[in-house]
Formats: sequence, C-alpha cells, structure tokens
Amino acid sequence: MGIQVVDASLFSSLDPVALQGSACVACAAHVFPAQATCPMCAGTEVSVVALPTTGTVWSWTTQHHAPKPPFRTDEFAPFSIGYVDLGPVIVEGWLLGRIEWVIGEPVRLALAKAWTQDGEPVFTYGFESVA
Amino acid sequence: MSGAANDVYLVGGSRTSFGRFEGDDQDLAEQAVRGALGDCGLAWGDVEFAAGGTNGETKPDNLVSRMGLTGIPFVTVKNGCATGAVALGTARNGLIAEQREIACVVGYDNHARGAFSASPARYGIGAWYGATGMMVTTSYFALKIQRYLHEHDIDPRTLGYVSAKAFDYAASHPLAWRRTPVTIDEALDSDMVNDPLTRLMFCSPDAGGVALILARGPRAFDLCDKPIRLAAVELRGRRPGSFEVFSPWLSPGVRTSPSVDAAAAAFHAAGVRPQDVQVAQVQDTESGAEIIHLAETGLCLAGEQAAGYLDGDYRVDGRIPVNTDGGCIANGEPVGASGLRQVHEVMTQLQGRALGQQVPGDPSIGFTHVYGAPGISACTVLVAEGA
Repeated sequence: MGIQVVDASLFSSLDPVALQGSACVACAAHVFPAQATCPMCAGTEVSVVALPTTGTVWSWTTQHHAPKPPFRTDEFAPFSIGYVDLGPVIVEGWLLGRIEWVIGEPVRLALAKAWTQDGEPVFTYGFESVA
Repeated sequence: MSGAANDVYLVGGSRTSFGRFEGDDQDLAEQAVRGALGDCGLAWGDVEFAAGGTNGETKPDNLVSRMGLTGIPFVTVKNGCATGAVALGTARNGLIAEQREIACVVGYDNHARGAFSASPARYGIGAWYGATGMMVTTSYFALKIQRYLHEHDIDPRTLGYVSAKAFDYAASHPLAWRRTPVTIDEALDSDMVNDPLTRLMFCSPDAGGVALILARGPRAFDLCDKPIRLAAVELRGRRPGSFEVFSPWLSPGVRTSPSVDAAAAAFHAAGVRPQDVQVAQVQDTESGAEIIHLAETGLCLAGEQAAGYLDGDYRVDGRIPVNTDGGCIANGEPVGASGLRQVHEVMTQLQGRALGQQVPGDPSIGFTHVYGAPGISACTVLVAEGA
C-alpha cells in the first residue's frame, strides 16, 4: 500500500522524495503547493513542477509549546519550523533532528513521521541538515 | 481657526479598560459609544452616520437597538486587525460623500483566552498545514523577526527593550491591561514561545471597546476645544514579495510590505513626512513587529532600531514616543477595538490629555499603523491645528 503522507498533492514523488509546486508559464514564478493560477502576475496558465530538494535555511523558529488543534501528533516534543530557500521559491516546512539552527546552513528534503494512524506512520516533508 | 468644509476631525473619544471581560460583547461597544458621545457633549440622536466592527459573532449595526432607532446608516466592517481603521475611513468618507456632519465609529471584541486558532480552509490552505503544526501565528511572527534581525544585524536583546518600554508605559495608564513593570532581562528570560520570542514579548487576545466621534467642517470647532484633523486614513493590501502569516511559500527576491505602502500613502495624502511625527502607534502584536514596523512606516531606518531603543528614542521624552499607552503588548488585542485604541491614544496625546504618560512639548502631528492577516495594513495621520 506504499507510504502514507499527510497530503499526496504536496509531492511529485515519494521515492526519491520531491515536492510538487507550480510554475507560471508567463512570469516563471514558482509556488508551493501547486495552484491553478499565479498570484504574482495574475496569470492563469501554470505548469506542475518538481521543486529542488536542497537549499539553505532562510529563517527558523522552534515551537516550544504544542499548537492547538487541528495540530495532530502522537506525542508532542518541541520541533523546529523554517523557511528553506530552494532557489526559485522559499518553502516553509519542518526542520528535522534539531531545535537550534543557523540562517544560511544547507539542508535537504526528507520525509518525517507526522503521526500514527491505524498503527501505520503518516509522513510529512521536512528538511534535514546536510552536515 | 475653523475647519474647511471637507476636513474631518476627531472631536470625542472613549475607550474601556482592556483585559478580561465577563459580559456581553456589545456591553463594551455601548460603554465606549456613550463615553465618546459624553466626551463631546452629544447624544446618539445627533449622530448621522455610524461605522463599526468586531471580529466576533455579534452584529455591530445591531447596537442601534441599545442606542436608539434613529434610522441612520450604520456600516459594518470586518477587516481583521485593520477593522478599526477601515471603520474610521468609512465614516470619514461617509461624512464627505453624503455631506453629513457627525459620525460615530466603534470597535470592540471579547476574545477567549489564548492565541487565536485559525482554520486552514478559511485561508485557502490544505488541512495538512494545520495538522502538521504550521498554522500557528506565534511561529509566523518568530520566523519573520528571526530573518529581520539577521538581515539588519540587530541585537536580539532589542526585543527585550520593546517589552520593557511597553510595560513601563502601561504601568501609568489606568485603562491598560498588563500594568506590572517588566525589566529587559525579565522579558528576555521569560518562557520561550517561539525562538526568539518569549511570553513577555507577545500580546494576547482580550476584551475592549473604543469609540470615536467625527465631525466635518467648522462644526468640529463648536464641539471640541481642540479637534484633531484626520489628515489621512489609508488601507493597503499585499503585493508580490510580502511575507505574510500562513504562507507555505515565499517568493525570493525583493521584499514588499503592505505597511510600507499604507504608510507612504498616508504621509503623501496628509502632506507630512515621517520625520515630522511627534507621537506614534505601530502594530506591536509582539516585540519584533514593533521593530519591523518602525522602519516599514518610515519612522526610522531599518537597522537603526537597536540604537534607538538603547537611546530611549521611543520613550515619552524621546525623539518619537511610540505606543505610549503600552500598545498591544500591554493592552492585549481585541481585534475590532485595537486600531481605534491607537487613534484614541494619539488623539488624547495631541490634545494634551493623555490618560497615561503625556508626551511633553505640545505634539501636533501623530501617526497610527495597524497590520494583520492576510496581509493588510492601515495607517492614519492626525494633526492638531491652531496650536
């Protein structure tokens, strides 16, 4: 039955993992997740693209208290969220494996378990340190 | 001095205490409206146009069932953090367009304890975003100031200075919510919420109501010893490149901000420069927001803030006193009332009757700025004339 994810439309592939965005045919702006129109130039013709899988930390924070619902987790522990500069677009996502980060450090896309459902892990995307 | 026919003035105002409130939301609105009418010696029957807003479930225009069924147009506004300023602009425009003389503006809210929780669907985002813990306003503010401190090489201790200033102002303001002074180190060392922002750097949703009475033309000078001219009210939305709450992605390259656009438009409309401002309010949802907005509105240069706080620039006797009633940090943020609280504070400062610390030297030019989801900002310029 394959890998369960929080939302299949976020991914262009799961193995190897890559995020799916959209690129405007007119102005080339990249957007994540993919959407049918371009908010940058108001264009209505876009193509679906796989986003780069490596980038650098653009900003970060650590969530020290459990968010309210609809946040879902098996057991809360502080976790980091960041914006990662992938080149054509800056994407928000989990930063994995640590709770202290430095702006500019290189990271790469990975899958991370978000919660367990019916005994099976459900994955979301995140970025892990390359170092 | 008497007003030109299409100049609109603030002639009265009132705010409730801000904080926790046990009662009906519209009790707050009614208390504020009656206070504002009393402030300029008018009755509800004198009001010819009204505009009001709340982020809650009550209908502002139903206030007429409490105040009196006088048949006037009452416009309801729901524009998030910009609600108050939009109501103010609507009332001003109503007075000019319909050639009426007296308008009432009211904003109120009575929020539940704790940070706002938001639904991804309301913002057009998939359920995954909330389920994975990214639909969190505090993390947005943290991510934004973290980047800003890095880009402009600002000492993170500046965040503590902002909180200490807010609580110092609030300590002497009888209607502020959190009035216990806090030191810079206490602010920095309090419970970490989202790096680099601690508990004492955030405002909280709470309750409060504010009302203002506007008058057009010479009538203003019959109603008030020192009417304050509403020289500009400008609302702007986001353009490509802005960094807004609940954004799964950002565009690389040049950053824009609706605050920059709204402030520039307000200064242009008023014919006033940012350096002319003598008392100001900027949106301080948390300490970082105040730092960012001081520069985005043009009140200082980006990167200058750390030195400004160290030098006391934003204190009551400083270069440009900012958030002199304690701002959102110490008053909390009842969304519908918050923007009007700012205008009320600047109005009373310009009239020399501030409820808390009074800016010395008879300030005559004031400025207010609100900012909020989903990327909107509204600014006003207020001018005391004939001093």
